[in-house]
Amino acid sequence: MIGFVLRRLLQLVPVLLLASTAIWAMIYAVPGGPIGAIAGDNASPEQIAAATAQFGLDRPVLVQYADWLWNAIRGDFGMSIRGRAPVLELIGQRLPATLQLAVAATIVSLVIGIPVAIASALRPGSWLDRILSGWSAMALGVPTFWLGILLILVFAVELRWLPSASAYVPIWKDPLGAIRNLALPALTLGIYVSGILARFLRASLVSELRADYVRTARSKGLPERQIVGVHILRNALLPFITIVGLMMANFIGGAVVTEAVFTYPGIGRLLIQAISTRDYPLIQGCIVVILVLYIAINMAVDVLYAYIDPRIDYR
Amino acid sequence: MVDPVLSVRGLKVDFGGEGRSVPVVRGVDFDVYPNEVLCIVGESGSGKSVTSLAVTGLLSETARVHGSIRLCGIDVTTADPETLRQMRGRDVGFIFQDPTTTLNPVLTVGRQITEGEVAHGRLKKSGAHARAAELLREVDIADPEGRAGQYPHQFSGGMRQRAVIAMAMAGQPKLIIADEPTTALDVTVQAQVLAVLARRQAEMGSAVILITHDLGVVAEVANRVAVMYGGRIVETAPVAEIFANPRHPYTRALLRSIPRIDTSDSRLDPIPGQPPIPGALPKGCAFQPRCAVGRDQPLCKAEDPALVAVGDQRQSACHFAGALPAEAIAAEPRILAASAAKHEPLLVVDGLRVHFPVKTGVLRRTTGWVKAVDGVSLSVNPGETVSLVGESGCGKTTTGRAIMGLVRATGGSIHFGGQSIRDLDHGTMRKARRQMQYVFQDPYASLNPVLSVEDIVAEPLRIHGLYDEMGGARRIAELFDMVGLSRTMLGRYPSEFSGGQKQRIGIARALALQPKLLILDEPVAALDVSIQAQVINLLQDLQRELGLAYLFIAHNLSVVRHVSDRVAVMYLGRIVEESSRDGLYELPVHPYTQSLLSAAPVPDPAVRDTRRRIVLEGEIPNPASPPSGCTFHPRCFRATEICSANAPSFDRYLDFATRTACHHAGPLEGRRNVFASGAMEIAS
Repeated sequence: MIGFVLRRLLQLVPVLLLASTAIWAMIYAVPGGPIGAIAGDNASPEQIAAATAQFGLDRPVLVQYADWLWNAIRGDFGMSIRGRAPVLELIGQRLPATLQLAVAATIVSLVIGIPVAIASALRPGSWLDRILSGWSAMALGVPTFWLGILLILVFAVELRWLPSASAYVPIWKDPLGAIRNLALPALTLGIYVSGILARFLRASLVSELRADYVRTARSKGLPERQIVGVHILRNALLPFITIVGLMMANFIGGAVVTEAVFTYPGIGRLLIQAISTRDYPLIQGCIVVILVLYIAINMAVDVLYAYIDPRIDYR
Repeated sequence: MVDPVLSVRGLKVDFGGEGRSVPVVRGVDFDVYPNEVLCIVGESGSGKSVTSLAVTGLLSETARVHGSIRLCGIDVTTADPETLRQMRGRDVGFIFQDPTTTLNPVLTVGRQITEGEVAHGRLKKSGAHARAAELLREVDIADPEGRAGQYPHQFSGGMRQRAVIAMAMAGQPKLIIADEPTTALDVTVQAQVLAVLARRQAEMGSAVILITHDLGVVAEVANRVAVMYGGRIVETAPVAEIFANPRHPYTRALLRSIPRIDTSDSRLDPIPGQPPIPGALPKGCAFQPRCAVGRDQPLCKAEDPALVAVGDQRQSACHFAGALPAEAIAAEPRILAASAAKHEPLLVVDGLRVHFPVKTGVLRRTTGWVKAVDGVSLSVNPGETVSLVGESGCGKTTTGRAIMGLVRATGGSIHFGGQSIRDLDHGTMRKARRQMQYVFQDPYASLNPVLSVEDIVAEPLRIHGLYDEMGGARRIAELFDMVGLSRTMLGRYPSEFSGGQKQRIGIARALALQPKLLILDEPVAALDVSIQAQVINLLQDLQRELGLAYLFIAHNLSVVRHVSDRVAVMYLGRIVEESSRDGLYELPVHPYTQSLLSAAPVPDPAVRDTRRRIVLEGEIPNPASPPSGCTFHPRCFRATEICSANAPSFDRYLDFATRTACHHAGPLEGRRNVFASGAMEIAS
């Protein structure tokens, strides 16, 4: 198991190297730069040149990249050009908020998705299955920004139960406040993803229901509840947790729209701001952090796999 | 008279919705008594498995069941689900075909063995592990305490099936239903599993219904036999009489169509046509279109005969059961291939090795080798059939693939037509492959489902750019004639063909380039018994007409005896014995060959109690860590110290045509022939 984790971490090195090179190249392929925004509209060419030199942007691109890479390896991701603060500090402020939302949204999607999948898989083709499958399709089809705005209108504007803009409240400091703030964005993301999860788990359950070992379990006289809850679910969850992991990883950097609707201080919004102001060090930092988390979550899924499926051996 | 455990009357099972219902079982009556083994024999689609599932109410919801099924005094067809659930495991235990899929991969074997008893409230969870170990010990599993905590993938195939037997017998049911319990197992493992099953049944006095297509297994274990065809029982009789004097034309034809391991027989006598599809049964007697007696008889076409008594304890469903002509097996001698004249061998393989690396650690370094093929030497002459036999994992398929260049050989040489074909570059190898084609085991998976069969057969011609040169569409039509398929089928897709027809398409594809050698990898293993005979005859006809050489890879010893000129037996990547067909079967000198032949069931109940049987212990070891010296020594009944120290060389045995690798080669004491009767001998 340790060997497996080490091997995966080793694989991370070329991925990160390739990704950061690609981002650096893409940034420079697009015209425009950060200095115009910093120096202001009335800046003279001399002022712009001075600012450019100050941030080291007058050096050759390769030198800048090598410099950044050398510092990054030592844990220094540089200063944000626009925010005038260390990149890691800016990310560090946003990261807990993003993680908290990702966990909350994943919980919501599982709480909705798993029962829906089981209920519809047990009697494929029944009216219940059709209603639930229709619901899953709708959850997938509705755009998150629209669902988010709808939820704000109902719960914040009309009923006044929840805040319309969600701040980050650490759950260990104020659980109730955290839930009030998280409820709407987590529901928005969770409902959307629950549609994907329910469809996936339903397909997986339906195919497991036809497996030979289910017939064996019936032939032993086991009650149906035990057959579904123990025999089938454990097997069906195997492919399912891969999808859950991918979805959760997706919440880290990919919840931009929802974060924007609820003005939630997550990493996604930070990255969008960084891109719009061409804040190169911040863009690089955000993407590296998102990548590392993405891979870490998927690695955790693989480790979890080995615990559920005794056939997997990560030696 | 004892009451039957199970009594089935007028059982009918239909599948499908209103208006389009398909009758799969069409009126079946039978009884099973305590201490009795009833074998139900039939081909795919005969309704034998559906009958057995109906007995326990395990059919899917789309099935409609009519008639009465009394199991231990309770009518299963009218019982409520909870009563049925209580009966399963307590009154009836099930053993299914494939032990790799019938066990749940993510639960421990011990838990799966005992959870039925726990669910029935007869066993406390705290006592489950000890009980599981006890049950595993009863089916001869070593270290039962430790094994009970392991998962199915840590068990070998034979051990899994023994665990399934333990599971089915945990509740001491009065009836055990075994649906093809040994079909997925190797022959030496099959012998072990059948022995365990018979012993446990005798200890508990249960009744057994054993469903199988293998007439050899029937002859070994049955007391009584019911033959099913087209959803009905067509004949039932005590086992000796079924084999000695079948009273239904189908039973008779079936017995005649199987190759036998105990004789070098004449040409097989296949049943023409295909087994009927349940939705499209012929009018009248379902067997009539294939029947030698009743084909086109007005009575047989008009009326489905009832199952009536034709003597003491015997029933037959045939209008002509009383007037069947005397048995007349055409004793046509097998036409030997023209290999008598000495040619240069077509294929010469010398010291072939195929080793696969085992990689471990963070850096994936190679820490060991799986020696799948480890020094195989063989030759095939033009027009000759050489067979490679052995149990799963012995390396026979890898050998075939290495010769074709589909896997890379690690060492040794391969010469085809005098030219070395090992490690050729892509283009040269492609040219060499023109002369040498491969027919795959699974006719269902080896044809591309989105191509028409015409395109499938034409593909090798197109790949080699020879389509027009070799006659184009005319050539394809010729090939269809050759393998006995109608030209009208050219434009159809693989899914429209039956298994036997698909294998004919696979053979036509292999013949397209006019090869000199076909490598046939288990070409009939996936086919029904009556269809096997058709394909074997086709292969023999083609060989004679086209002068083909065959390298025939198979595990079925009866089929191999029937088709081969020479036979090589493989064990753990090496050939342990090689001889002429009759030399090997009549006078085997290697202990493994002797065990293999003695474990194979013979379709003759008359010899089952007197035949000499060597039941091997254990299973084929892991090729990644083979035993020292002679790799067979841990299972061998002749092994001495030298066997674990030195590997024997592969040499000629005395002045026989046989070559063998054994320190103690020699015929079995006392008897020349493993098929002759003799005292039962258990190897230890």
